Amino acid sequence: MTAATDAAAAAPSARRRGARIGSGVASYLGFVPAILLLGLCFLVPFGIIVCYSFWETIDYAVVHHWTLDNYRYFFSVSAYVSTMWWTLVVAVIATAFAIGLAFPFAYWLSRYSPKRLRTVLLVLVIVPFWSSYLLRVYSWLTILGQQGIINRFLQWAGITNHPLGVFLYDRPAVILVLVYLYFPFGALTLYSSIDNFDWNQLRAAMDLGASPLQAIFRILVPQIKPGIITAIIFVFIPILGEYLTPQIVGGTGGVMIGNLIANFFQEAEYTRGAAISLLVAAFIVLLLVIFRKSLSAKEAYGA
Amino acid sequence: MTTVPTLAEQASPPTAAGIELRAVVKRYGTQTALRGLDLEIRDGEFFCLLGPSGCGKTTTLNLIGGFVGPTEGEIWIQGRRIDTLPPHKRPVNTVFQSYALFPHMNVFENVRFGLKMDRVPRDESAARVREALQLVGLEDFGDRMPSQLSGGQQQRVAVARALVKRPAVLLLDEPLGALDLKLRQRLQIELSQIHRDVGTTFVYVTHDQEEAMSMADRIAVMNDGRLEHLGTPEEVYRRPASRFVADFIGDSNFFDATVTGDVAQLTDGSRVGCAGGRNGPATLMVRPEAITLGAGPTSISGRVLQTSFLGSYLRVAVETSSAEEPVVVALREGSSVPSVGDEVSLSWPAGDGIVLEPPE
Repeated sequence: MTAATDAAAAAPSARRRGARIGSGVASYLGFVPAILLLGLCFLVPFGIIVCYSFWETIDYAVVHHWTLDNYRYFFSVSAYVSTMWWTLVVAVIATAFAIGLAFPFAYWLSRYSPKRLRTVLLVLVIVPFWSSYLLRVYSWLTILGQQGIINRFLQWAGITNHPLGVFLYDRPAVILVLVYLYFPFGALTLYSSIDNFDWNQLRAAMDLGASPLQAIFRILVPQIKPGIITAIIFVFIPILGEYLTPQIVGGTGGVMIGNLIANFFQEAEYTRGAAISLLVAAFIVLLLVIFRKSLSAKEAYGA
Repeated sequence: MTTVPTLAEQASPPTAAGIELRAVVKRYGTQTALRGLDLEIRDGEFFCLLGPSGCGKTTTLNLIGGFVGPTEGEIWIQGRRIDTLPPHKRPVNTVFQSYALFPHMNVFENVRFGLKMDRVPRDESAARVREALQLVGLEDFGDRMPSQLSGGQQQRVAVARALVKRPAVLLLDEPLGALDLKLRQRLQIELSQIHRDVGTTFVYVTHDQEEAMSMADRIAVMNDGRLEHLGTPEEVYRRPASRFVADFIGDSNFFDATVTGDVAQLTDGSRVGCAGGRNGPATLMVRPEAITLGAGPTSISGRVLQTSFLGSYLRVAVETSSAEEPVVVALREGSSVPSVGDEVSLSWPAGDGIVLEPPE
């Protein structure tokens, strides 16, 4: 694709070269800011990470000595590997809940909510973004913590006489907060793809004998598949890299791969941290390649 | 079905009618869409609900289809009460105005969808889909996607998709509304043919009187949530039950009159023949083609305002002192053509002067 674009851009400039010297270069001038930004802020750091992951750390210093030890080390420690698996499990569950809640919300919003209320509700979905991410995670401590709202209520209601610690510092708390944090991404993405849907099709499906749920899953869902996949990408991939939420509400049980990476870098184990980062990045690229294939299915009937 | 008949239902056994609406009222908030509709549609009939937008015809269709529930009243289909059933449990299928084809399925899958929902075995469903596509002349289009079809073809797929389930009743919601005139006329003929072939009861909603006249066995003319007239196209045209029906279907001339027996006295004092039926103040309605030029036993006189050649007939507008609006006369070929400004006499057979309720 890049090659084709380059060729297309180069062809006219080649023809004009005789008339105006330097126009070939000029036609690329527009790309310069983007190339600088992408190069300085993405490619260079990424290159450093790649190199680090194949170098060694000796006495808190990175030594330019090529090796696969960082990767071998990661897979040799079972706690790390299991953290990686648990990260995947947590991310899958949190994504499932976030999308599972976002879909009915988006459905209701675009089909049943009164037009005037719709804008208000959409703004309400976005409102959390106006406050700091850190603040939003910390606020969950005041809900789930020992002195939190839930514990106070349970004690007030006489259900328990001492504060319960089960709400915080484990995976369920991490999942809960992640669902809360990423619900808006899912809801907005799904809403924008459901909003164009012709609801007569659901009526037609029910007229032809489909139950309401069958109509939704056989008629609506296949048609908004690209939107659903986009929503999953927007939710699942950032969750894979989460480290603040598990650090604040996850305790020791809720550790995710992001915390491992952060720890390695804090302990100046740059090369090992870089190797895990690359493993996560490689996994995400793999996912995107798979999703890209299903995304292209929309061209089958989009014409 | 699972519904247990109540005492009231047992007390009034259903008739053999295909569809029966009993005292059906539908209110949306403070708006009343139907004001107590009683309607009997016979089995196998091509039935048209005709009226201007907002008259309640689409509401009636949606009530039969199950997309809205009645506020009051009952709906029966072939001896079964259905107004309490959800749409997917009614022996009714619908052809939607927008077709509502599923864009992610090809024509074959679209038509098969209803059979899949009924868990019809694959072999049988494939055969029935082919049969249905053949019925609408699209047997070679099974692999196409809806977006690759013309409007008329999409409409036929919608018909096949609804008929493949062999419903007791096929509901059609202005299915030709989006098509151009020529195609509409061709599809009218095709729909009539399909109706004869399958023998299913068709309930067809339209605001186009010509469409209703050309296809329907019987027409229900509706206005403002009420049934104005129910009858064959000929009855509705020749003996309209109200001024609204006469005005809505075809061209008509109206005169304010006072009727005594079969004589109507018009506002200018002239006396003309009429079919009678009621005495006292009335509206006299005469169709343009019933009027001939030239003095008869009873006639009114006027001056020709305009003559227009309209292909199959000549339309003459005549200013008279008997009516506020010019009287419109449709002359068949071969009649002598008057010139603008001519003084003419207009007469009609007494039986063609229809006496209707006077305006309020």
